Amino acid sequence: MTTVLSTSIIVVALLAALVSAVTAFRNRPMGVADLVALGALEVLLIVQVVVGFVKLSGDGGPEDGATFVGYLLGVLLVPLAGAAWGLLERTRWGPTVIVVAGLAVAVMVVRMNQIWDGTVG
Amino acid sequence: MAETARTTGGGPGRLLVAVYGIFALAAGARAGVQIATRFEEAPVAYLLSAFAAVVYVLATVALAVDGPVWRRVALAACGVELAGVLIVGTLSLADPAAFPDATVWSQFGRGYGFIPLVLPVAGLLWLRHTMRAARRDG
Repeated sequence: MTTVLSTSIIVVALLAALVSAVTAFRNRPMGVADLVALGALEVLLIVQVVVGFVKLSGDGGPEDGATFVGYLLGVLLVPLAGAAWGLLERTRWGPTVIVVAGLAVAVMVVRMNQIWDGTVG
Repeated sequence: MAETARTTGGGPGRLLVAVYGIFALAAGARAGVQIATRFEEAPVAYLLSAFAAVVYVLATVALAVDGPVWRRVALAACGVELAGVLIVGTLSLADPAAFPDATVWSQFGRGYGFIPLVLPVAGLLWLRHTMRAARRDG
């Protein structure tokens, strides 16, 4: 995958986690700032799906293509689930879940890079 | 928080359900791919992965949904999970040859930042906490 895109996604995911950590720390439910961060993250993840499929259709895809596509599409759901949770749980525990969602996206993107490079099975 | 402490899926419980959900998804997807593409390489490890995934799914649902039956299911799922991570963790260190490919529970969940080890303990503590709160509030 492209290093620039992956790095951007990881940075934005960690920023989203940070924003929601502040919200949770202030004992507030999910607000506009949390949603904006999640939205930016989701847009980048959609870009990643497009870039991913374009690259997959070319040469030099990962050995484990099925797993890669699973991650590529599965990671899309994480910010959405975080936002849904933030709407359902109108306490500080809503944004706390978004912190986990942001960290999970960052980990998943790191893992996708490993799968792409074939450094892990 | 007192008003949410009685239900397992509310308040801090949401965090637990979210993390369990991620693990249910990750373990399930991984086991699915492993079994579908290269089952014969390490059948024991892949079946264990699948079993772990089922336990995670059960725990996720049982913690998210309220009621005495679900509480018991959650208790059982967390218990099985703790036993699983301890037994498989110990075996994978004692006899690495028996586990040619990693499972979620190998080496006490090291490949997943030891979260598989922490999660059932957190789940059991949370279940105890909500049970006490429910009893206290009648």
